[in-house]
Amino acid sequence: MNALIQRTTLEGGIALLTLDRPDHLANTLDEATLLALEVELESLAAEEGLRGLILTSAKPAIFVAGADFSFFRTLDSERLARYLALGQRVFNLLAALKLPSVAAIHGACVGGGYELTLACDYRIATPERVTRIGLPETQLGIIPAWGGSTRLPRLVGVPTALEVILKGKRYPAREALRLGLIDELAPRPWLLKAAQRVLRGDRELAPLVKRHELFFQRPVNLAVASTMGGRTKAEVARRTRGHYPAQAKAVELIMEGAGEKDLEPSLQRERVALLHLASGEEVPHLFGAFLLQEKARKLAREEAGEPIRSAAVIGAGVMGAGIAQRLSARGVEVFLYDLDVERVASGMKRIGQLYRKAVERHLMDEREARDGLDRIHPAPGRSGEAALRRVDLVIEAAVEKLEIKREIFRQLDRQTGPQVVLATNTSALPVHLMAEATGRPQKVIGLHFFNPVHSMPLVEVVLPEAVDAATRARAFAVVNQLGKLPLVVADRPGFLVNRLLLPYLLEAAAAFDGGSDVVEIDEAMLRFGMPMGPLRLVDEVGLDVALEVARTLENAFPQRFAIPAFLEAMEREAWNGKKSGAGFYRYDAKREPAPHREIERLRGKGPVVLAEQLEARMLYRMIDEAAFALEERVVASAAEVDFGMMMGAGFPPFRGGLLRYADSLGIARIVQEMEALGMTPGEPLYRRAAENQPFHHENETGA
Amino acid sequence: MKQRLVILDGVRTPFCKINTRLGSVPVDELGRQALSALLVRTGIDPGTLDEVIFGCVAQPAEATNPARVIALRSGVPQHVPAMTVQRNCASGFEALTTAQERMLAGRGSLFVVGGVESMSHVPLLLGHEMGEKLHALSRASTPLKKMAALSHFRPADLQPRAGLRLGLTDPVSGLNMGQTAELLARELDITREEQDAYALRSHQRAVAAREKLAQEITPVYLREGEEAGGVVTEDHGPRHGQSLEALAALTPAFEPPLGSVTAGNSSQISDGAVALLVATEERAATLGLEPLGRLADYAYVGCDPARMGLGPLSAIAALAKRGYDPAGAAQIEINEAFAAQVLAVVRQLPGLDGVDDPRLNPLGGAIALGHPVGATGARLVLSSLLELRRTGGKNALLSLCVGGGQGAALWVEGKEAL
Repeated sequence: MNALIQRTTLEGGIALLTLDRPDHLANTLDEATLLALEVELESLAAEEGLRGLILTSAKPAIFVAGADFSFFRTLDSERLARYLALGQRVFNLLAALKLPSVAAIHGACVGGGYELTLACDYRIATPERVTRIGLPETQLGIIPAWGGSTRLPRLVGVPTALEVILKGKRYPAREALRLGLIDELAPRPWLLKAAQRVLRGDRELAPLVKRHELFFQRPVNLAVASTMGGRTKAEVARRTRGHYPAQAKAVELIMEGAGEKDLEPSLQRERVALLHLASGEEVPHLFGAFLLQEKARKLAREEAGEPIRSAAVIGAGVMGAGIAQRLSARGVEVFLYDLDVERVASGMKRIGQLYRKAVERHLMDEREARDGLDRIHPAPGRSGEAALRRVDLVIEAAVEKLEIKREIFRQLDRQTGPQVVLATNTSALPVHLMAEATGRPQKVIGLHFFNPVHSMPLVEVVLPEAVDAATRARAFAVVNQLGKLPLVVADRPGFLVNRLLLPYLLEAAAAFDGGSDVVEIDEAMLRFGMPMGPLRLVDEVGLDVALEVARTLENAFPQRFAIPAFLEAMEREAWNGKKSGAGFYRYDAKREPAPHREIERLRGKGPVVLAEQLEARMLYRMIDEAAFALEERVVASAAEVDFGMMMGAGFPPFRGGLLRYADSLGIARIVQEMEALGMTPGEPLYRRAAENQPFHHENETGA
Repeated sequence: MKQRLVILDGVRTPFCKINTRLGSVPVDELGRQALSALLVRTGIDPGTLDEVIFGCVAQPAEATNPARVIALRSGVPQHVPAMTVQRNCASGFEALTTAQERMLAGRGSLFVVGGVESMSHVPLLLGHEMGEKLHALSRASTPLKKMAALSHFRPADLQPRAGLRLGLTDPVSGLNMGQTAELLARELDITREEQDAYALRSHQRAVAAREKLAQEITPVYLREGEEAGGVVTEDHGPRHGQSLEALAALTPAFEPPLGSVTAGNSSQISDGAVALLVATEERAATLGLEPLGRLADYAYVGCDPARMGLGPLSAIAALAKRGYDPAGAAQIEINEAFAAQVLAVVRQLPGLDGVDDPRLNPLGGAIALGHPVGATGARLVLSSLLELRRTGGKNALLSLCVGGGQGAALWVEGKEAL
């Protein structure tokens, strides 16, 4: 018997292959597993009297996590080529089996794992939360090359295959069923029974088995590919601005292969494409970003104490409601506080909408959404003071005014049990000043969530010096429970993300002040690869909110965070951005946002910035501030700066992160160019340039 | 009774007329919001409860034991049991007195009790015959047999019967509740004018008591329907501009054209929920909550189903025999099922100085506030204890007439008496 794969024979001549990599939580399709699978498949092919094959996993939360990433990170393209060919050969063997085969999926089934099931005739999955199905390869700068780009369009048609491969999402099982990625759902206790039933042919399965060989799929794909091919390519080129070559490659592969009779030419193109992509610089950058995420996830998991059961959220605004929704969705009883019924009701309304959207997106069913909403107990005014005694954790998400926050912490200190951890969601204010207002500074932390809470993965975790070990463990427990990624930051103004983002936004504002056009400024950064231009981002965040942070930073670092006067004039006019209908752009439900021309009269006399200098100015301000932040030990390493800016500010992962990008330019060159642009680099950046000291050390692993 | 149940705190949703602002809220959701608010206010750990008991008359098909569904959905842990009690209009009393009996039997010392009713959600029903025919159809195995089974259906089978109308009709006497009130009005010569005047009194008192009533109300946050995301914070029933002329203009609802009972001088059919936290005196002392009062004694007595409106008289008499004389009550509540029925009781109740007696229904009653049948009893307990706290009164006599021919009465004591 093979250790990696267990072979048993079930009643009725059905062979069962169970993947169970010893001493690991996950199955991966590394070389050894593929070889073991090949041996099993060859022996099955030779065996007489079998009626079918079931492929499953013994792991509690993972079917097959995918390929062995180390191959993509070596520069040995021959090894990679051999590995690719091996996977394709084994999967072809599976697809060519005379026996009908069923994949019985429970847990994550992504990338190579899902491609394995595509080589089966039929796929059944459990509807549980851990079951996620998808082909996320393009998110890592590569393409599905073990037959995914070839077999999926034959199974679900070209449009769905494009959607699945280009977006790279990991779909919950119900959504996967709707898309046709799987054929059937079966609750976990019935998973194997359901697979056996399919193979015994107790039911009319003829039209379902071998669905990718349906006679009409190829001609339809051919027609679809020829009509939508050009448009899709153009659309992808527009959206990625050429920064993500894997996307364009995937479109090409799907369009070319979907209508062909033979699989082999398309499989061949998959291999060539992957080898080509893997030699580019995006792939190591994207894998680096992926590994940083995994590292953060691991940190949260390993440092986590007991999960919390109940929490109080103070403030039912956008952030408070978002945090309450996430907590309740993850099984925590939440007491939602605000000054009056109207405020609490508006938070409840927002939470209801978040749950409705989650149901519409098949992230949960109606009952799960109802249960989540049920876990939120509205506590308007003073009605909920007594309930504060019951909670494990309080997260304060009130207005960003230090005095108000300190008063809230003073009260919380009296109203909650002495062991309760008090957290603030402040985006810039010093946490220790809130801790001082209590008699338990060892229990006061910052948990800075980003907006919108449900989709932003990062949480900045602020652990001031006084914090004790139990509190630290609780902080990570919450982050882990919420499925977020922690970044430990020092209790310094603006922490990391806002500290670096604000100079960038202020530089964009200064350029506008000097006469640059709104669209020109935003376009410069979109071209660079940011998901949103800086001025549009200010509109999304809300100018009032951004200025609140800016003022905190201006107080702390007056030389570097001067706020252009016109921004305050905009705030006085209540042109706060999207929520008020106008900011740098005008918002109208019916139209695309268009530049808001009225603000131009508020411009001062800032220095004129040439269009081709915009990108450099904005990026250099961020890099310069990062040098200060590192010197102050806001985070421990350049890798953490890169991670924080990718996860919290949308810095494009294919660039490898802010400081990896800076290193690639060279610090000396940045300093030189800043001076040429009339900017003043800070002392820390100067020093790095003088000492020829890049942000990342050569021996650093990770990316 | 030696040991007495202490009422520690309570809260209710607004009461809203059928198919108005709470119309989209199902029974279990309505009860959940009341219980959730009670847990928030009291801060007690729901895992320490001994039982959750709710009164509910029209227990819905999708939550046949609504108390259990309410408890679980409110975050009460699984190990705490829950039951639903039904004594028609006295179901809200029954929840409280059941807890009292549990306590006396030594089975528990901390309970949530309450009442809940969504009259908007009482379903339309198809007859038993229709059920039989559908069953026959489902059993027909061949197309021919199916055809045969189908041929038995008649258009009349599809005529729905309103569950609400059925529920408000006494199956023994065959009279609906309004007709029992008409009977009392005829027998005791209670005029339409008297009834309308009493209805006006109810509205005026409820309107004047708005701020007091607000103290017992917790908002309902709406999830479903057109108003999803909205919030209901006030009772819907009390009418500011209510006038005798407007009341006089209504046609008799039950025995037109000559009857005297109208929609205006009857209780409103409403949706609402109430939740109370109750405990033994000993347990209460450990919780650090200041009690509102306690249940001193109670009585349920049967009477003529056709004259169910007189039920409070026999129940109050039974309490008097046990030493609780209505003359000594600081506040007297006679639930306003119908003005005619209240007036019938008032006329015959010793120790009460007619409808002008200020002790009678001081905050208005079900004619103005509405009568979500399973919830009303619990509302009377909550409302009267809060009023005793405001006035410093020692005790209150609470009574209800009960469809099907019963009377119910409770004697509660305010904080002053503890």
